[in-house]
Amino acid sequence: MKEDIVDYALEYAQEKEVEYAEARAQNRTLETLMLRDSILEAYGSAVDSGFCVRILSGGGIGFASSNKWTKEEARKIVDLAFKYAKLAGRRDKIAFAKEKNVETKWVVDQKKKAENVSSEEKISTLVEISKVLSSCGVKIAATISGCTVDLVSKYFVNSESSRISSIVPRIGVSVFIAVAEQGKIEQASEQFGYSGGWEAFDEWKISEKMVGNARVLKNVILRGKSVKPGSMDLICGPEVTGIAAHESCGHPMEADRILGREMSQAGRSFIFEGGPFWIGTRIGNDVVTIVDDPTLEHSYGHYAFDDEGVKARRRFLYKNGLINEFLHNRESAAKLGARSNGSSRSINYNREAIVRMANTFVLPGDLTEEELIEDVKHGVYMKSFTEWNIDDKRFNQRYVGREAYVIEEGQLREPVARPVIETTTLKFWTAVDAISKKVEFDAATCGKGDPSQGVPVFVGGPCIRLRGVYVK
Amino acid sequence: MSDLLVRTEEIVKKAKGLGADEVIAETTLGRYRQVRFSNNEVDTTLAWNQYVTDVALAWKKRLVVTRINNFQKIEATLRKLFELAKVSKANPMFGGFAKGRFSYARSKADKRLREVKNLTDYVFDAVEAARKQAGSKIDSGGILFTKFEDVYLVSSEGPAGVDARSAVELSIRAFSQREASGHGVECSSTLKDFEPARAGTKAGEIARLARNPKAGDEGVYDVIFDPLIFGSLLGIWAPMVSAFSIMTQTSIFINKLSRKVAPEIVTIKDNPAAYSLNSRVFDEEGVPTKENVFIDHGVLRTYLHNTSTAKAFKTKTTGNAGLVVPTPWNAEMDSGDRSKDELLEDMKRGLYLTNTWYTRYQNSAKGDFSTIPRDGIFLVQNGEIRQSLKDLRISDNAQSLLSNIAAASKERQHVHWWEEAEPPSLSPYVLITGVHLTKSK
Repeated sequence: MKEDIVDYALEYAQEKEVEYAEARAQNRTLETLMLRDSILEAYGSAVDSGFCVRILSGGGIGFASSNKWTKEEARKIVDLAFKYAKLAGRRDKIAFAKEKNVETKWVVDQKKKAENVSSEEKISTLVEISKVLSSCGVKIAATISGCTVDLVSKYFVNSESSRISSIVPRIGVSVFIAVAEQGKIEQASEQFGYSGGWEAFDEWKISEKMVGNARVLKNVILRGKSVKPGSMDLICGPEVTGIAAHESCGHPMEADRILGREMSQAGRSFIFEGGPFWIGTRIGNDVVTIVDDPTLEHSYGHYAFDDEGVKARRRFLYKNGLINEFLHNRESAAKLGARSNGSSRSINYNREAIVRMANTFVLPGDLTEEELIEDVKHGVYMKSFTEWNIDDKRFNQRYVGREAYVIEEGQLREPVARPVIETTTLKFWTAVDAISKKVEFDAATCGKGDPSQGVPVFVGGPCIRLRGVYVK
Repeated sequence: MSDLLVRTEEIVKKAKGLGADEVIAETTLGRYRQVRFSNNEVDTTLAWNQYVTDVALAWKKRLVVTRINNFQKIEATLRKLFELAKVSKANPMFGGFAKGRFSYARSKADKRLREVKNLTDYVFDAVEAARKQAGSKIDSGGILFTKFEDVYLVSSEGPAGVDARSAVELSIRAFSQREASGHGVECSSTLKDFEPARAGTKAGEIARLARNPKAGDEGVYDVIFDPLIFGSLLGIWAPMVSAFSIMTQTSIFINKLSRKVAPEIVTIKDNPAAYSLNSRVFDEEGVPTKENVFIDHGVLRTYLHNTSTAKAFKTKTTGNAGLVVPTPWNAEMDSGDRSKDELLEDMKRGLYLTNTWYTRYQNSAKGDFSTIPRDGIFLVQNGEIRQSLKDLRISDNAQSLLSNIAAASKERQHVHWWEEAEPPSLSPYVLITGVHLTKSK
């Protein structure tokens, strides 16, 4: 990365008639390992480096990027971004919400530097997972595992005198297993993510978790029965709570979606001006508070400043059951008369920063998991999920249990094969009457944007208890 | 020989000089442009230029890959890659890269897509067309995307070639009411016959018909799938014929070669032909691409292969490398003998679905999945659209849907949008019987 080229691009942009200009560079050293069973299919290693310029001029936005580090290229990129900003010809002029300038450098520390871990160790760590799985007593028909070691340096400058440097190492692992017993196959996949160094593996206990998954799938194949459909209580484990928080709270609270900017791809929101839901409207029981928080250290979605140079902070999205605060970048904030809350993220120098979540989770209550269960006469405990989806207004969602059990008279009973809850956002969060006190997180890659920008996030929460929902 | 082909060849020679057994280098000079619009206005226009060389290096059955972005550091990058190969682990399944010299079809890429002037004009053509259908108060959004890539591939095993790949795509979603929308796409490899107004017209027409939707009822329906949503279904089946999906137990087609998987009227192929957004004359090993009929009159005929998977399956590569994973390029379903109008006219009671998103599996080996129709969902009775519906979900099985294809239209459309109708496809209107629809309770 050549910071002088980035500075030059900004200086050159400021010579033009611009309301705002920024230049952002990113250097990414990425290692990828892909294994099928215990066979290393491929090992990838690459350094990607480039810069982009974004210009607001005449109420239009232009963006251009390149991986060619020359001043001549920088001028071309600025000229292109400026030309495209002017090309917009908007009646409704875009503006950015005001922000303080920031000069800082932030770094995520590593206890065990990933770049110092040998390739052999990285391979053997992954191979070991497959080996443990192959000898766990469950017939594993296939395992696919992948690991990414992603060291990202960024440099951001804008026409308001902000200058921010950052270094963030991220480690990600995904493991998929197919369990075959008695001629039947069941599948599970898990994702692990961490901002920091190789010490992540000490905390994850991947083999242990995947062996647990394998045994659960075997149990479902051998003993799982369908649930008798009907109204009952449902306890969602942290994994299910987390995906529900992400899909039916985080996404619909993205202000760019509310304003329609993603309408033809990721869709819109059930929340819109003049509609039945807006800030202050009830969307759930008052025990429900869901936050999005990029400041959690070493979380997969961690950042200290977003990709518009705005300081990150915790956002209370649903607060005590009420719609409270949207996720904003500077563009959406200006449009809705707010301030950015630091939600602008981009995966690389060649992608525009858009409104994104970071780590979305339900805040804990004061009960234990056991106390939630013991107060259920008839219901299901859905500990984890397989299939899930939600409509593009983020209102009709469905979660299918992977590990799930019948609850009778406060006791966990036999496993349930693929129980389904298919309900609305309003019904889901309104049905929550109690929340446990232990929050757990899962790593995920959130998809949005065109071209798609998968950003690392955490989803999570405690166990939550829903009363009288339809499970089939 | 072009300068970039020479430079690509030099990379291969350098890697061989370090001791690599086999090397492939593919240089791509890419120019990509995109206009994003919403609320009938342009939000932003983006440009990204990229000059990269992807290198795959094999040494003693170890496969390592890299992407060179910094051409000042080629030697160092290759040396590092070779060191990585030395400490890597052998893959007994690695069968080498494709060997031999090939001649390739000449690319029909449209050079005008190197740099398109007046990008926003195409957008406004589409928006205006949608307005004509659904009124001036529509709310529309989408993207215009253009691509031009010069591609240079050299393999130490013989293949060497040059390709140019162009694409232009307009995707528009129009809302006539808050919950009444239609989606249209216009996809091509060339500006010739590229008519964004067609996409706008379709989006507007569906948005108009979709007004005042009522919540749909759960049940089992005969369903006419629009080319756009059928493109999403092709996007389920086509990746499942990749040999890698078979090896990893993530396909409904395991152990089904030469077996009937669909009715006789169903023929589906992979074909990165000249019209396609994903057109190419060679794959990532330098093997000439071709048409591969994988379901022929209902019978599964082949999986898609690269050289390594082909050896494992004791067959020949199909020109679908993917250095690691064979991949479909462009799915095609053969046209049928009915018109779209005839399909609708003959329907006594069923649904016409126009688009979907968020397809997820419970189990990709068994094929159980759900997906959420969006935009126009129509109840059809006695051959006519009677009611616009909303809030329904297809909760079914990938094998069942394939088995229950009852008819296809003569008309076909080249479709692609975002990640939902991927890979691109040539798709007819298709009638599938007995489709399970569910809803929130």
